[in-house]
Amino acid sequence: MIRFEHVSKTYKNGTPALRDVNLDIEKGEFVFLVGASGSGKTTFLRLLLREELPDSGRILEAGRDIGKLSKWRVPYLRRNIGCVFQDFRLLPNKSVFDNVAFALEVIGRPRTTVESQVPQILELVGLSDKAKNLPGELSGGEQQRVAVARAFVNRPLILLADEPTGNLDPANSESIMALLERINRTGTTVVMATHDKALVDRMRRRVIELDRGEIVRDQVRGVYGIDEAAVNL
Amino acid sequence: MRVYFRYAVKETLTNLWRNRMMTVAAILTVAVSLSLVGAALLLKQSAAQASAQWQQGTRVTVWMQPNATSSQVDAVRTQLTSSPIVKDCTYFTQAQDYAEAKTLLPKSEWEVLTIGAMPSSFRCVPTVPQDAFVIESTFSNQPGVYRVTAPEQQIRQMNHAIRILQVVFLILAGVLLLSATVLILNTIRMAIFARRREVSVMKLVGATNWFIRVPYITEGFIQGLLGSAVAALAVTALHTWYPLHNEFALDTTALIGTNVVVVLVGVLIGSVGSAIAIRRFLEV
Repeated sequence: MIRFEHVSKTYKNGTPALRDVNLDIEKGEFVFLVGASGSGKTTFLRLLLREELPDSGRILEAGRDIGKLSKWRVPYLRRNIGCVFQDFRLLPNKSVFDNVAFALEVIGRPRTTVESQVPQILELVGLSDKAKNLPGELSGGEQQRVAVARAFVNRPLILLADEPTGNLDPANSESIMALLERINRTGTTVVMATHDKALVDRMRRRVIELDRGEIVRDQVRGVYGIDEAAVNL
Repeated sequence: MRVYFRYAVKETLTNLWRNRMMTVAAILTVAVSLSLVGAALLLKQSAAQASAQWQQGTRVTVWMQPNATSSQVDAVRTQLTSSPIVKDCTYFTQAQDYAEAKTLLPKSEWEVLTIGAMPSSFRCVPTVPQDAFVIESTFSNQPGVYRVTAPEQQIRQMNHAIRILQVVFLILAGVLLLSATVLILNTIRMAIFARRREVSVMKLVGATNWFIRVPYITEGFIQGLLGSAVAALAVTALHTWYPLHNEFALDTTALIGTNVVVVLVGVLIGSVGSAIAIRRFLEV
């Protein structure tokens, strides 16, 4: 589903963000991306969204080299990728329903689709009774569930999550993780960048650790960090 | 497509309403500047038409001294008829000129005239209207000639005045059009800024560039259109309430043509303003 071949990226100010990254993520995998701040996690996600282009190397998504994608096709690429962020990024003046519906409307889905899909997805994230509320009236965990609903309503092939639990308490983090797992079980590839050690350790999924732009660990059923685990003992 | 159309209309109207103060300012500036453009265009057409009409019938009159000898008259006649720049010449005797003066002048003025005090005259048509001036300079110093008159002089002065007026109008209109464009640009920029969250979400979920851009383009387009519509009304009002007379009078075709130009320019600056704003402030 996702393949990086010798991908390097250096920003204009000279900081190397990724150095010769090679990896494969299969369809339906659940992958944690861990590493200190500035290790290249966000760059990794931005490259997947084609918000950035690599300086060298190739990135393939669903078999296609996204570096060769012409500019006008980028939106169509993004329709296959859902995104969730630490800060939710909901529209404050739209209701929960409209926030989710917005994602379908702006890609030109007909009203009938919107009216059938949005209630379904709100049901999935457990917010059917809050459909008419504004984001400001919801708790952080609920807002993040709306964001997940918006990211998933178009049934993307890949779901990217950049610290989705960063602003949430453990209980809410837990419910977001449960939601992402459920989405993953439908066959969606999930890539989640996180700092949440406890979460990663408990989930026992594939862990890719980045350090100063290089992959230092790629472990099936891994934990957050071996070194830190040792220190914590 | 229908979904999109509805979306674009809705977005455009919300944007216009949200920024209504700026929108009104932009529309009014467009209206004022285009009214000036329209007025300048009307003036230009009117002047062109009038001078064309005058030039068609341009006559040069060579007035002889009342006491000119018949040999002097004959000399002028020979010169006029042999000159290639004179197409046609008619001689008016003193009596004929007196009769004409009677019809043209009020009674109090022609009463003091006598036939003997009237100049006789040659009424000539130049081959080319522009030659009127040449005839004037050639014959005014001939012996026995009192003076030569041609409407050319007045036409020139008038055209000169009209041209100055036009330049002033157009410079003013140019400055105003520029500021209207900048105002529209700024309104669109504010609209984009107000909706930056929406725009970032739209990009994220894969809305196409044109989907994101079109509401802003139509917003500028509508501002230009509304402004030019007001200007077209103003131009029409000007034409109706302060009509020009005689040779200057313009027909409806000229008015419609002017209004079409006004609306086209308005739509153009609206679109250009929003296009610049989109290029500079809406990264997609």
